[in-house]
Amino acid sequence: MGSPLLHEPDLALHVEDLTVSYNGRPALWDIDIDIPPAVMCAIVGPNGAGKSTLLKSILQLTPPTAGHVTLLGRPYHEMRKRIAYVPQRSSVDWDFPTTALDVVMMGRYGHLGWFRRPGSEVREMAQAALGEVGIADLASRQISQLSGGQQQRVFLARALVQDADIYFLDEPMAGVDATTERVIVGLLHRLRGRGKTIVVVHHDLATVRDYYDWLVLMNVRVVAQGPVEKTMTTEALRAAYGGQIALIEGSVLHAAQ
Amino acid sequence: MDLLFDHTLRNAALGAALLGVVSGVIGSFALLRRQSLIGDTLSHATLPGICLGFLIAGGRALGPILLGAVVFGVLAGLAVLALVRATRLKTDAALGIALSLFFALGVVLLTYVQGQAGAAQAGLESFLFGQAAAVLTSDLAVLAPIAAVTLGLTALFWKEFKLASFDPVFARTIGLPVTALETLMTLMVAIAVVIGLQMVGVVLMAAMIIAPAAAARQWSRTLEQMVVLAALIGLASGVIGALLSSTGQGFSTGPLIVLVATGITVVSILVAPGRGVLWQVMQRHHERQQIDAEEVLATFRHLIYEHGDPTYPVERGMLNTYHGRGVSRVIEDLTAQGLIAQASHMDSEGDHWVLTPKGLERSGVADA
Repeated sequence: MGSPLLHEPDLALHVEDLTVSYNGRPALWDIDIDIPPAVMCAIVGPNGAGKSTLLKSILQLTPPTAGHVTLLGRPYHEMRKRIAYVPQRSSVDWDFPTTALDVVMMGRYGHLGWFRRPGSEVREMAQAALGEVGIADLASRQISQLSGGQQQRVFLARALVQDADIYFLDEPMAGVDATTERVIVGLLHRLRGRGKTIVVVHHDLATVRDYYDWLVLMNVRVVAQGPVEKTMTTEALRAAYGGQIALIEGSVLHAAQ
Repeated sequence: MDLLFDHTLRNAALGAALLGVVSGVIGSFALLRRQSLIGDTLSHATLPGICLGFLIAGGRALGPILLGAVVFGVLAGLAVLALVRATRLKTDAALGIALSLFFALGVVLLTYVQGQAGAAQAGLESFLFGQAAAVLTSDLAVLAPIAAVTLGLTALFWKEFKLASFDPVFARTIGLPVTALETLMTLMVAIAVVIGLQMVGVVLMAAMIIAPAAAARQWSRTLEQMVVLAALIGLASGVIGALLSSTGQGFSTGPLIVLVATGITVVSILVAPGRGVLWQVMQRHHERQQIDAEEVLATFRHLIYEHGDPTYPVERGMLNTYHGRGVSRVIEDLTAQGLIAQASHMDSEGDHWVLTPKGLERSGVADA
């Protein structure tokens, strides 16, 4: 197993010439992205810019029309156990009959392999992960009785037990309360401190500078990428958001200057 | 209990029990995946297969008939998938089209078969509404292994089925072959349907996929509880329905089993704690009462502050003015809880109430 030759092994994420189209329309066009390890990277762009599509394409959920992706030098299918994914909260039915702890334990299914049942070791990992996101007391709670912020924390805990090197999160801060947002950001910063790479689809330009140290600004194509302080310029934002620039708060533009 | 030694009855009950358990288990996953109606389409679609199996085998041998049923059930499933993929039709429309098309074909074939010599005795039309009395011991020998394999597969792929049902996207990212698992689950719906053909029949089989699972969902906190409970409810409905049919006036078994199952479902939907409709109504009523009580206590507090007197007696007329006539019941409740007590003030006026020490504490006057 494993490729004998690694392609760009020094990059946590390397995307080259990636193009994805839906019904003949490009959702992503000729994307080249390089993200070094141990950074916390925001993927930012207007609605319809293809941010979620980019994540799905990296995770091989959406087949690309062209291009390739490597993670720490290897293709995705060889890296599954070293990658964690937090989908959008709305992607599942929260009325499913199960508990918070059980959902978190699902994060270990990939490591368990076929047919093996999760044991007490997995249970303890899951319980610890719930503690890390600050809801240890909700372990046996029905997921239908969790608030939006608690649901997001459960998803985050599930990603934690995946014990990955690279974390992909799709809008984890969308529609959660301020406390949950603080918990999430604090946790992601701790992960980065342990050398993990964090890639987040993010929607709030105002917080990019505070939370992230790396930025990919996109709108179907990549507009700019690199360290946040060099990348987040007025010109780049204008190029990404185009006519919608008026909708962006003046403070963001000001901060970018 | 001579009844238990009656072969016909024993076979009917055993067959219905097998069906109930399998359809409860498989139906739980179908329900959670919002695929319940696939059972309806697949079961109706088996009718042409039943007729062709009968024609080819030249008699009422269960093996060929079930094989024909499976083939056409799977064909219908594929037709639905093809319609959804290749056209702009949504799943509900595709299910409807496949159901009508295959069932129409089946009815035409059934009419043709019944015109043939010897077919009338075979009682092929009992596959429409089920006739548990027609279940032979040899039939059970066919059905039992099929049921065992289905349940075994569910146990084996338990955590994979669970994850693929709850979060298929995440399941894909960790490398589960979600499409294959979903196909397997759909295939198992077809198998559950086929097991039920003799007992319940093609027309009502969908209820056995939906009803036990829907009833079980009301009472369970985990998937494990739900699946076990659905199996038990399915089993109970199957056996009770089969017994009723065998001892009754020759009613078709299917409608009886389905009536029992849906009866259990209706009760569950109404009274199950937490999710039940009546339960929620009572809960809301209870909360409404609590709010009313808090509001009345707030009036007491307000008047006490206004008069600077924690023993201020509040007259019924004032409470009526603030809260309307319904306040009498609230006053009774608060009195019963020991939060207020009747106080004599002046005989010429109406009743008066004061906050008890407990009431003072509860309404926050004590803190002020």
